[in-house]
Amino acid sequence: MASTSAPSRPATPGRPAPPPAGRPGGEDRARRARRPVPLIAISALVAALLTLPLIFLLIEASGAGASAVSHLIFRRLTADLLWNTVKLTVVVTVLCAIIGTAAAWCVERTDLPGRRIWEILVVVPLAIPDFVVSFGWASLWNWFSGFHGAVVVMTLAVYPLVYLPVAASFRAADPGQEEVARSLGAGRVRTFFRITLAQARGAILGGCLLVAMVLLAEYGAFEILGYQTFTTEIFSEFSLSFSVPAACALSLVLVALSLLVLTGDGLARGRGRVSRSGTLAARKLAPRRLGKATLPVLAGFALLVGLALGMPIASSVYWMFEGGAHAISGVALPAAALTTGGYGLAAGVLDTLLALPVALLAIRHPSRIRLLLERTTYLVLAMPGVVAAFALSYFTQHYANDFGYQTAPLLVLCYAVMFFPLALVGVKASLARAPASLDDMARSLGQNRINVLFRVTLRLAAPGLIAAFCLVFLSVVTELTATLLLIPTGAQTLSSQFWAYESNLSYGQAAPFALVMIAIAAVPSYVLGRFFNRPASSTAAPAEGMLIT
Amino acid sequence: MTQLAISGLTKSFSGRTVLDHVELQVPQNSLTAILGPSGSGKTTLLRVIAGFEHADSGTVTLGGTVVDGPGGYQPSERRRIGYVPQEGSLFPHLTVAGNVGFGLPRRERRGAAVGDLLDAVGLAGLGGRYPHQLSGGQQQRVSLARALAIKPSLVLLDEPFGSLDASLRATIRADVKRLLREAGATAVLVTHDQDEALSVADQVAVLREGVIAQCAAPLDLYTQPADPELALFVGEANLVAGVLGDEAVETILGSLPVHAGTRAGLSPGPVTVLVRPEQIDIAARNGRRGLHGKIVAYGYHGHDAVVHVSPELPDSEAGAPAIVVRTLGGCDFPAGAPVTLHARGPVLAWNQ
Repeated sequence: MASTSAPSRPATPGRPAPPPAGRPGGEDRARRARRPVPLIAISALVAALLTLPLIFLLIEASGAGASAVSHLIFRRLTADLLWNTVKLTVVVTVLCAIIGTAAAWCVERTDLPGRRIWEILVVVPLAIPDFVVSFGWASLWNWFSGFHGAVVVMTLAVYPLVYLPVAASFRAADPGQEEVARSLGAGRVRTFFRITLAQARGAILGGCLLVAMVLLAEYGAFEILGYQTFTTEIFSEFSLSFSVPAACALSLVLVALSLLVLTGDGLARGRGRVSRSGTLAARKLAPRRLGKATLPVLAGFALLVGLALGMPIASSVYWMFEGGAHAISGVALPAAALTTGGYGLAAGVLDTLLALPVALLAIRHPSRIRLLLERTTYLVLAMPGVVAAFALSYFTQHYANDFGYQTAPLLVLCYAVMFFPLALVGVKASLARAPASLDDMARSLGQNRINVLFRVTLRLAAPGLIAAFCLVFLSVVTELTATLLLIPTGAQTLSSQFWAYESNLSYGQAAPFALVMIAIAAVPSYVLGRFFNRPASSTAAPAEGMLIT
Repeated sequence: MTQLAISGLTKSFSGRTVLDHVELQVPQNSLTAILGPSGSGKTTLLRVIAGFEHADSGTVTLGGTVVDGPGGYQPSERRRIGYVPQEGSLFPHLTVAGNVGFGLPRRERRGAAVGDLLDAVGLAGLGGRYPHQLSGGQQQRVSLARALAIKPSLVLLDEPFGSLDASLRATIRADVKRLLREAGATAVLVTHDQDEALSVADQVAVLREGVIAQCAAPLDLYTQPADPELALFVGEANLVAGVLGDEAVETILGSLPVHAGTRAGLSPGPVTVLVRPEQIDIAARNGRRGLHGKIVAYGYHGHDAVVHVSPELPDSEAGAPAIVVRTLGGCDFPAGAPVTLHARGPVLAWNQ
């Protein structure tokens, strides 16, 4: 009897070294099955491509010499810029966290009248480029500038970055936890802070991270408001004073700052996770009654939407009529729109394709290698557009004999690098909808890997892939900084043409470009809203639908 | 003829051995159940057979061809194995007909074959529906039709009834068995439910910690388990101590005859004896001989009842576990009532 139950193998600890490679059968067979070598190789290439600008920056910095660079870093200007940047980042991030979370809670958890409409209106400001918001205010009133102007403009422009993930997390949160907390004797306020906010904690932190990264990378809005940060200074050192070592030195500090924010976020997030136990039927808490607070809350929403959405649009429309009919430059506008659309299309497709192997590896074959690769691609987050553009531009000019310098492919590559993390988020979310078990299924039905990819995996992931494409497209349409540095000679995008007119104070001619940008960007943001705002249950429908019904 | 032969199959994940030299023969046109508690490695075994995982060592032979072993490895898509997983795993973006026809060549997908299969599984006319519009039982039928569509050399069923309501389970189980038989398919069913294994399969292989503990027909497995542990795992069991003599084995339940088939391998002396609960009769205490005891627990199941009786023994044997008795229908005695137990042979015994 004992012979059947007691294994006759030696104990497992202290395994001998793996058998020599090439031996048929044995352990290497198993290992080969689990390590998708082509996928790892492609992902490694993608990661290498994404780190190119960072590598270029280091090469350029070492070209300038360590002493020169350190001399340029340790001076009064750096300290001033650091203070300006950090001050603004902290204030705006906190304001966005409060406004975004409060708005999300009101929309998702209360009986606010017109919730369906507010839900859309509070997100639309995301489609308005920050520099257009800035233009909308500063063009009307001269006194609107400096630190206070920057706080108002940036808060209104980027709070949806907190609103979106927090609203999604409120929708997906387990309502049972709040009910249990109440039943255990915790009051409304205590439940709100200990349960509701705790459930949204990851989403709030994630939103704040996005806000901080946008603030570190913003150029146009601050330039209009005359507020000096690292990014504006790098831009002018490089493109106006042609002082490459100074631009290099400041870029290094900016990258370090971004890395600091990224790691800080990682640390804060690591402490405690929100989990949802078991598969639950989609159930909603009864919405909290606002009662007497209804009118003030409605007024607050009207004010928020009026300032964030109404103001820039109204101002642009005002300048269009103020500038007279001749202001509408009929020829330049369609051409610029086409160019912008083309770049957006190219970068969107490129990014979706680049993100696919990395996302597949991350979702399907979790291992230490993929973790390393995925982390590497997130390094891009720490590289604001101005730094990436500056590194690529200077490198092609001085190290690659002008190869690619000021060409459309280089600009598209820069966009692709900058917005890769966005695409990766979308592609990963979409692949999560295509579980590996369905791939196994399809293969057992006689389909080879390629067939499975096209007949199952990509078909299921398609909505998410479109969402990823839209994210990138939207970002390209409203991009200014890298565009100004890398745009091919003779070409104009909507944002660069807007900028040219705005700098000339030709507000009437700039305004139509602002409006077209808003209109174009609104379409993908609508698609995105549809994708990410769906209730958690319907996103997971393919898997869960099997069990329910 | 043997359709599936597995020998010496070993598989481990990060140093933990999940399958340990598994041996299994599955005859053609038969249904074999692999029965094991969760974590015993049954799903891994199925995944290796299907080709989703590679074996570390050992051989898997399908219809005479080595599909995984020193001779080579055949990928999943070339094995022609119909796989029916626990959740059905229907493709959510395809209709029912699209799912069933998925594994067919392009021009056959719109042919009559798909409709015929849907008829066979009792879903005629539902070809245009999407998976989320079906009930759990219907999804499992589609999943089975999809597996049968490729005229599989082997059908693998991974706890296919686990997510269904108890009331639905029995019907679907019977349907699946009939369909497999009609299709002339060879099938392997993985389950942790012994009722399911015993009632559906032609042959049951018990998988215990990665080892096949016993592989036998359901009746043989129940009446002649290979060891006491298996006796406890398959069905309920009373294991009592006994002394084997020339004629019979002496136990607290009296002197009982030993199964003729297993008699030869035993040596006289102390043994462990298996008495199934249905081999014991329970009666109000009267003057008759038998094991006296008191009822300590009582579970009523409608068609039968399970009664736990604490035996009244001399002090030297105090602390013996309660004896489990199964009665048809209810049992009239209140808790604590004094009763007398009588056992009927033959019984199974193992040398200690």
